[in-house]
Amino acid sequence: MLTMNNISKSFITDDVVTHALRDIQLHVNEGDFVSVTGPSGSGKTTFLNIAGLLETSSSGEYLLDGEDITKLNDSGRSRMRNQKIGFIFQSFNLIPDLNLFDNVDVPLRYRGLNASERKKRIEYHLDQVGLASRMKHLPSQLSGGQQQRVAIARALATSPRFLLADEPTGNLDSQMAQSVMSLLEDINKAGTTILMVTHDPSLAARAKRQIYIKDGHVSELTQKNSNLHLVGEA
Amino acid sequence: MSAFFTQLELGPMFRALMRNKIGALLIALQIALTLTIMVNAIFMMQQRSEQMARASGLDEANTFYLSNTVFAQNYNLKTALQQDLQRIRETPGVVDATQINAIPLSGGGWSMSLQTKAGDDIEGTGTAVYMVDEHGINAMGLELIAGENFQNSDIGWREEGSTQWPPKAIITKALAETMFEGDWKNAVGKTVYIDNHQPVQVIGIIKALQAPWNGWNGVERSMLVPQQLDSKGSRFFIRTEPGRRDELMPVIEKMLAESDRGRIIRNVTSMEQTRDESYREHQATNTILLTVIIVLTLITGFGIIGLAMFSINRRTRQIGTRRALGASQWQVMRYFMLENLLISTAGVVLGAAGAVGLNIWLVSTFSMTPLSPVLLVIGVIALLIVGQLAVSYPALVASKISPATATRGRA
Ligand SMILES: Nc1ncnc2c1ncn2[C@@H]1O[C@H](COP(=O)(O)OP(=O)(O)OP(=O)(O)O)[C@@H](O)[C@H]1O
Ligand SMILES: [Mg+2]
Repeated sequence: MLTMNNISKSFITDDVVTHALRDIQLHVNEGDFVSVTGPSGSGKTTFLNIAGLLETSSSGEYLLDGEDITKLNDSGRSRMRNQKIGFIFQSFNLIPDLNLFDNVDVPLRYRGLNASERKKRIEYHLDQVGLASRMKHLPSQLSGGQQQRVAIARALATSPRFLLADEPTGNLDSQMAQSVMSLLEDINKAGTTILMVTHDPSLAARAKRQIYIKDGHVSELTQKNSNLHLVGEA
Repeated sequence: MSAFFTQLELGPMFRALMRNKIGALLIALQIALTLTIMVNAIFMMQQRSEQMARASGLDEANTFYLSNTVFAQNYNLKTALQQDLQRIRETPGVVDATQINAIPLSGGGWSMSLQTKAGDDIEGTGTAVYMVDEHGINAMGLELIAGENFQNSDIGWREEGSTQWPPKAIITKALAETMFEGDWKNAVGKTVYIDNHQPVQVIGIIKALQAPWNGWNGVERSMLVPQQLDSKGSRFFIRTEPGRRDELMPVIEKMLAESDRGRIIRNVTSMEQTRDESYREHQATNTILLTVIIVLTLITGFGIIGLAMFSINRRTRQIGTRRALGASQWQVMRYFMLENLLISTAGVVLGAAGAVGLNIWLVSTFSMTPLSPVLLVIGVIALLIVGQLAVSYPALVASKISPATATRGRA
């Protein structure tokens, strides 16, 4: 599904070079649920951005669904994001001037689907997250947990093969976080590959596979050397 | 095709705009006001330009005039005038010359009222009066289109303070049309009355000769009368062969000054200069109107840039999110250009109504002709283009916002 070979990323600002990622080797199988943990500033968001084609790596090779991403131009990457990837953000990133219906509609329009197909998908996915009755509401009229569920509906409406979430529960209380996590687990069970960055060890432990990033290096947390999931669980 | 329209996002764009009305409304109003003022200012400029473009009827390129002021005592004005005119006419390169009482477009001259019947209470038609001899038509380069010119025997002397008018006159076609209900040819041979009772026979029609006052609505109405002024101050009007005017102006000034020391020759002026001075105010007004249009358009353009920059800054994260969800750079750019088109369209629709309203008021207040719909259409298109040009830079900036902004916030 996803293969990274020697992926590195450095940022150069005012003559300061930050090596956010160093020589990442990673393979993620179709249907996996991978959690990503690590200290602040270790490169988790950078890793997710590169995996989700939001930014490009400085060097290395990246294959997504068999396609060599490094060969795509900006509009090719845009199309790939629209067709294969769904995003869930820590601060939900709903468009404040659009109601829930129009928010979920955004990626569907980029895909150029016809009106009845879009309407069907929007209603289905808002219904799945329990917000079908609030389609005409603006994001500001919703709680954080509800907003994140709309964002999940938006991410799933395009039927992505691959779902990326950067601290999806970071702005939610623990009860809301649990419900969003269950939703993600259901989505994964239905076949979508998920990559999720989180600071919450108990949530990370619920993933099928855990990776740990520190100073731009990726390491695998095996069941053996990870007792983190025992610590956080209530 | 339908996928294309889907991707334009017109519906959500419009609904989002309706939730953020104030800025858009202000810009739309500004565009409306600009269109209203722009179209009417261009309209006023056009009216002036049309006035300036009217032919005076004279051979302007090859004519000039000068004033002759006698200060000597015991001076025989009549003899001197004939001598002066003869000397001028004999100068190589001169086509003809005449004495004249007033200069077309100069701002100063004589006017009288002509009527088709004699009587005190009869309404007349105002006309400019030019006193010339039988050389007048040739000296000014006028075109006689009916009837005949004056004979030498027709020319009489007009003493200072006299109220007597000669029995013959040549009038312009425009004057004839006004007095004879459009049938100008019918005027030849007719008797009209000047100063209520004095009969004057129309012996000829000239195609055109403008009055001295360019702002007068009867500027095309003039008459020539066969008279010479017995006066210490007079003017000579001179036509040269094509292209020789500038060369001959100083030659004739010098010749006249040296031939007779009892007078001074002043104000040697070409007709072209007179036209320029006559329309100086028109030119200045048009320059001001043009400046107003340009400044207003620039202000509107910068207003659009400002609002777009502001709203793009406010929407940075949203734009990053749209990019993350699959919008291409071009789609982001197009979003802002289309949004501007929606706002501008509202503005020009409002502005077109305003422009027509202001024009109706102008036309009824200053009795002008109404503005042409073509001008309005041109104004609308021009402002839509200004809007698109102005928004293109902010839209380009928006399209460069990185999709990573979605996860990182503002870079
Ligand atoms: N646009 C940028 N320009 C310069 N440096 C950057 C940029 N983005 C990230 N970095 C740096 O790259 C490193 C990795 O950042 P990243 O956001 O991936 O960390 P993170 O693991 O997501 O941290 P956190 O847990 O706080 O979200 C940091 O040192 C950060 O300062
Ligand atoms: Mg991060």
